[in-house]
Amino acid sequence: MATGTPTNGPGDAALSSDSGTEEVRLEQFQYDDGIVRLFATATIVWGIVATLVGLIVAVLLVLPSITGGLPWFSFARLRPLHTNAAIFAFAGNGIFAAVYYSTQRLCKARMWSDVLSRMHFWGWQLVIVSAAITLPLGITQSREYAELEWPIDILIAVVWLFIFGGNFLMTLIKRRERHMYVALWFYIATIVTVALLHVFNNLVIPAGWFKGYSVYAGVQDAFMQWWYGHNAVAFFLTTPFLGLMYYFLPKAAERPVFSYKLSIIHFWSLVFIYIWAGPHHLHYTALPEWASTIGMLFSLMLWMPSWGGMINGLLTLRGAWHKVAADPVLKFFVVGVTFYGMSTFEGPMLSIKSINAFTHYTDWTIAHVHAGALGWNGFMVFGMLYWMLPRLFQTKMWSEKLVSLHFWTGTIGILLYIIPIYAAGLMQGWMWRAMDDTGHLMYPDFIETTQSIVPLWWLRVVGGVLYVSGMLMLGLNSMMTWMGRPSEYENPVHTAPRLSKSYVDHTPTPTSSIDDAPVLELGKKVSIWSQMGWHRRWERLPVRFTVFTTIAVVVATLFEVIPTFLIRSNVPTIATVKPYTPLELAGRHIFVSEGCYNCHSQMIRPIVSETKRYGEYSKPGEFIYDRPFQWGSRRIGPDLAREGGKQSSFWHWTHFENPENVSPGSVMPAYGHLLTEDMNYDAIAPHVKVAAYLGAEYTEEDLNNTAEVAYKQAEYIAADIVAQGGPAKAYEKQAVALIAYLQRVGVDLFATEEPATPEEPVAPEAVEGEEAETIEEVANGDSPPQASSEVAAAK
Amino acid sequence: MIRDLVSALDYSMFAELALALFVVAFATMTYGTLRLSKNASDRFASIPLSDDVEDPRP
Repeated sequence: MATGTPTNGPGDAALSSDSGTEEVRLEQFQYDDGIVRLFATATIVWGIVATLVGLIVAVLLVLPSITGGLPWFSFARLRPLHTNAAIFAFAGNGIFAAVYYSTQRLCKARMWSDVLSRMHFWGWQLVIVSAAITLPLGITQSREYAELEWPIDILIAVVWLFIFGGNFLMTLIKRRERHMYVALWFYIATIVTVALLHVFNNLVIPAGWFKGYSVYAGVQDAFMQWWYGHNAVAFFLTTPFLGLMYYFLPKAAERPVFSYKLSIIHFWSLVFIYIWAGPHHLHYTALPEWASTIGMLFSLMLWMPSWGGMINGLLTLRGAWHKVAADPVLKFFVVGVTFYGMSTFEGPMLSIKSINAFTHYTDWTIAHVHAGALGWNGFMVFGMLYWMLPRLFQTKMWSEKLVSLHFWTGTIGILLYIIPIYAAGLMQGWMWRAMDDTGHLMYPDFIETTQSIVPLWWLRVVGGVLYVSGMLMLGLNSMMTWMGRPSEYENPVHTAPRLSKSYVDHTPTPTSSIDDAPVLELGKKVSIWSQMGWHRRWERLPVRFTVFTTIAVVVATLFEVIPTFLIRSNVPTIATVKPYTPLELAGRHIFVSEGCYNCHSQMIRPIVSETKRYGEYSKPGEFIYDRPFQWGSRRIGPDLAREGGKQSSFWHWTHFENPENVSPGSVMPAYGHLLTEDMNYDAIAPHVKVAAYLGAEYTEEDLNNTAEVAYKQAEYIAADIVAQGGPAKAYEKQAVALIAYLQRVGVDLFATEEPATPEEPVAPEAVEGEEAETIEEVANGDSPPQASSEVAAAK
Repeated sequence: MIRDLVSALDYSMFAELALALFVVAFATMTYGTLRLSKNASDRFASIPLSDDVEDPRP
């Protein structure tokens, strides 16, 4: 608990004071900088790890076989590790360092509980380590920025909401500064909203310790995921960093924020608007039109508060620009805030439907998020750390020159990263859409479009090397500064009176300016209300302020969620769309575990160039059994929404063995382990049971003899592979399940109703003669998708 | 019942309604913020500049 030694002393005076009868006592307290040192150190360590993994995945794109096919180090497993490490480990620990340092000083109080502070630190590090272990092992939900499985999600909820949130809120309640400074508002919004997003997006039914199935499916899952995904950017990478900006920028510049009024408008506008904007990630998909439009509309409105905040930050330096030239801390902040302005201009622009149609799935999005992450989040954290470290370690920075070198290396690194990737995004957008005079695609071979941007990916690697170098400089400089620390830290004792419980506001009772006018009493009351004294009171009441912030976020959410979930016409069902067979479900689990969504979308938009390239556009009813949805957000490889029946099963087998064998020039790594690792048929049952529990219709046979049902289908596909010249006993291997799933994707839309009397299952040894020819046709991709579906149905 | 009620709603005007809701909230907040006195605003803005309690406090 907070240490405070009460002593008798004078009470508050003047504008606001305690009630006359209450005795006011002075209390002594010390700030807990130990916890800030812990989080600052973790920020640096995880920052190095996150950027190094980012560099590795950048290299894997240009040299896909460099890891020798080791599954734990494939691009699709490491990319989520990179994004999670950058967001939750690097930025997360940076946020906590900022919150623990600034909250104590803004509240003039030590954190409420040292024990909770330490539990927060170690609990969060446990989350990070758990992520670092499980993601390379393929234990993942495959939902962007929400990849971690349910046991870790529960740990996050407990650490974030009860330990961190509880400690923070109690510190606010026990504070000694009457007014809650605007930075604290941003922290409140962060804690409340992230908890809300995390809990509701991660509602799953467990199918074991390492697997949970989302309670949402298809369109609704997509909606929830991007409600979460976009607001993770908003309330994890924006609002806490704005709180950080409003505290540390004035500190470093030694002058108050340019406009406190603007900061209030900035706060409420962001909280009101941001939560609506998620659906802009799903333009032209199977999401209902109204949701997409509202996402765009509110995204455009974000221009206003975002630029208000940027201007407020930069103008805080009015009259102090000479300091910027000399002080690397301010340089980091200026570049960071500038990138905030750039990113928040670009984000709304990308949400405009016509622009989004061009940029979505391209590398433009990657450049956009890295401008924000490296420029805004990275540089704000660096500026904060370089300002804090000498104060935390109570000595000078080891090398000021190295700080400057970090600044320039990092700045050039960001530019060298994003400029080529913007160019790559433009090239992809144009090449994917380009059509000749006869109305045919100019680049029908997808690999051609990928190959053309590989040189730009190499430039990105160079930019990444520079940025990582900067991180290493920060690490070295911090370590050397720490080594120069005093043998014992000074810990000054502060003295302040406790805030009285019975606060008496000595501001004169508001009177209406129209008291003497001949108007209704109601008019006079409105006049008094409009003076907004009530809002001043909110700003002193943390619990009520938190409740109102929560209401603002929840109302906006419900406006979108209720119709999405309750209006049946949003997701018209399709009679021929059936649940996945047990083997296909197991295959889908492999697809999800391998993180295939990192490179392949499963969503064909109703855009001519897409329907020409991939086939019929995707319909909402096609995804009702997809938990999680796998629409993806990026196309390093082609879309797979109509993959079923396009290639033979043996083609897929060969493709997993070495993609270059069937797709020369492919940047996809080999998935040889799927061809060598045995398929565990007994492990399929829990997946089927959960799918059935969530509403998928399965027969008693499927539910009670899952392994046998799956095995029969596997034997059929294995015979298919043999007939194509492939190896025997393919049914023993994991690849067979993934092939079963891929052959099923997108075919139900074209299927006809099953015949009244199902055909007898076909044993592999019986596959001869005419039947073998039929299979061969399917295997060769000669038959239409419905033929493939019929084959699947027969199984 | 809620499902029937919501299904009966016409969401073609949804975006406009949401915009109106925001505009009202935003205008209220902006108006209130502009009513904040300069004295109070300056005091609040200077809170982070000192780690000690300023007395008299607001």
